[in-house]
Amino acid sequence: MFRITLRLALCGLLAVALGFGAAAIDSLKTGKADLKSASALAFGPEGVLFVGDSASAAIFALDTGDRTAAAARPVNITGIDQKIAALLGVSPDQILIQDMAVNPISKKTYLAVSRGRGPDALPVLLRVDTAGKIDEFSLDSVKFSKVALPNAPPSVVDKRGGNPRQDAITDLAYVKGRVFVAGLSNEEFSSNLRSLPFPFAAADKGTSVEIYHGSHGRWETNSPVRTFVPYEIKAETNILAAYTCTPLVKFPVSQLKPGTKVVGTTIAEMGNRNRPLDMVVYKKGGTDYLLMNNSSRGVMKMSLANVDSYKPITAPTEVAGMPYETIASLKGVEQLDKLDDSNALLLMRGEGGSLDLKSIPLP
Amino acid sequence: MRVVAVALLLSALAAGQTGAPAIRLERDSSGRQVFRVTGAPHLSTESFSVYAGETAGLPALLGAYRVEGETLVFTPRFPLQPGLRYRAVLRLNGRESTQTFEIPKATTTATTVVEQVYPTTDRLPENQLKLYLQFSAPMSRGEAWRRIHLLDEAGKPVELPFLEIDQELWDPQGKRLTVFFDPGRIKRGLTPNEEVGTSLQAGRSYTFVIDREWVDAAGDILREGFKKTFRVGPASREPPDPKTWRLTAPQAGTSEPLRVEFPEPMDRALLERLLEVSTPRNAAVAGTVEIDRQETRWRFTPRQPWQPGQYFLRVETILEDLAGNSIGRAFDVDVFERVEDRIRRETVSLPFEVGR
Repeated sequence: MFRITLRLALCGLLAVALGFGAAAIDSLKTGKADLKSASALAFGPEGVLFVGDSASAAIFALDTGDRTAAAARPVNITGIDQKIAALLGVSPDQILIQDMAVNPISKKTYLAVSRGRGPDALPVLLRVDTAGKIDEFSLDSVKFSKVALPNAPPSVVDKRGGNPRQDAITDLAYVKGRVFVAGLSNEEFSSNLRSLPFPFAAADKGTSVEIYHGSHGRWETNSPVRTFVPYEIKAETNILAAYTCTPLVKFPVSQLKPGTKVVGTTIAEMGNRNRPLDMVVYKKGGTDYLLMNNSSRGVMKMSLANVDSYKPITAPTEVAGMPYETIASLKGVEQLDKLDDSNALLLMRGEGGSLDLKSIPLP
Repeated sequence: MRVVAVALLLSALAAGQTGAPAIRLERDSSGRQVFRVTGAPHLSTESFSVYAGETAGLPALLGAYRVEGETLVFTPRFPLQPGLRYRAVLRLNGRESTQTFEIPKATTTATTVVEQVYPTTDRLPENQLKLYLQFSAPMSRGEAWRRIHLLDEAGKPVELPFLEIDQELWDPQGKRLTVFFDPGRIKRGLTPNEEVGTSLQAGRSYTFVIDREWVDAAGDILREGFKKTFRVGPASREPPDPKTWRLTAPQAGTSEPLRVEFPEPMDRALLERLLEVSTPRNAAVAGTVEIDRQETRWRFTPRQPWQPGQYFLRVETILEDLAGNSIGRAFDVDVFERVEDRIRRETVSLPFEVGR
């Protein structure tokens, strides 16, 4: 235990030494973080929580102050939607759990919740400690910064009196000093992966890239990314991205330059009538694996051992790509994150309709 | 605030005993709902909790406690939900008393309707990309995919025709929902397209149905359901070409509209946003836009009468037709032969002359 703590402490020191810690935390100023919605969550280093706010087309960086290293404990909270509804003083049908993220330092779980279902619904961040106690993470006085995502030209907004265009932020991740944001517009249909530097800089609004992926057919769109995860392949940071129309694609982060189009490599096809929801990468027995939950095809496990051997498909061909196995015991998984190196945290709908938060050993 | 104290249960501490504690729900000076416990000085915050609903074993409401003289004041973190019962529980000297409160739900009638579903034409291409559902009032999230259906000619539901994303694509007012047809079933050469075919098939008719049971943001169902029957034609694979648009220029000195007619219907939302009239110096002309004739005509009426001279209609090239083809680019692109290396975020300019 002492050794683990020491290692974590050393990791913390290393993060500071690498330049994230002080400068990044210092860029956050105390005040009321005026979120209009909380759509997607991701942790950066040092307990900084990134929150995607679709309604205000902005990304918030919050200092949770949650930097005390702790070991994970098994989680099993049945009917978590009912418990959250009780805390927030509403009936369970007025609660929508939008996303979930585990702080890798403290192993506490953060939930983005919508209280209410109309346009005036209130965003709430909740924190579940390792003993299972749920409490609010207050946004009234918190160190934070925010950056607006580029949206429709303001001139259009002014003239027509209101801008109905909105990006739904579907996923975000922190990768080596940048926050990557995937989104889907409610008007034009396009791939929308943005990269923003962190600490946020007013001068750098980030870059937006279009990503094409070759599939076994030759016709492709720049379809929106639904969920993605960073992954190192031969010392190069890649993004593994799953699309609304189900292929799994990889591309190196170094290719994501402003104003460019990127052709990703399709490494797997997940099948039709299905939407990928979340992905995590983990190591077990010396091999890297990808675990992914889906809307209708359950939870899939793929070995990443040969991920770099898949070449871009350059001609129409048969279905090619990484084989996957479906974890039969995991059904109704709506949210997925890593609890620690050996355990996954799941938000899953049980057979009786109960929404449960539970941990399982990574398969 | 009208509050109904529904019942006083376990009334060991109840009225009749002089100085018995009392719980009241009222507004404080800033208008917030607060519970006040009087008649029991020196209460600890642990001795009073408020619970939502009737289910036992759930956590108490989040909120803040403070003491005002001999009164314990509990301010719930969020406003109470009308129509839901709240149990205020006081634990004193080993005994527990519960009082329930309910803010009556205003009785309202169903008034919200589906104003329109775009495109308004009753003939859609086989690769139709999206529908816009326009409601008259804000709607509630979380049930869209249960409330819309696509039926074939026999009235049989088409299986999973839409891209059912949990983060439903509403506008900020919650009055317009964008529904994409599953793009995996539209593109050529993709597995779903090959295995199960497109959701819509040319030569057939379909009915798009919205259930009346869909609840608006006020908690009421719609005044009526909605049905739109349409016929499906061949897939549209050609990008819209501004050269085929017909511009009818107005006369100088009038406030007649500039008329732009398209040979096919265009995407309604993008038509609202991506066309603009400007002077040769690129100054935008102020005015109002009307779209009619089943999204095949765009009309611009200037706020000030037209001055003689040359103007431009500027169009962002991300403007889409019904199948998601945008100017200069088809919805699905042959990536192995033609991937442009730059993102196009461009406009095309169509000149027109306002004559005397």
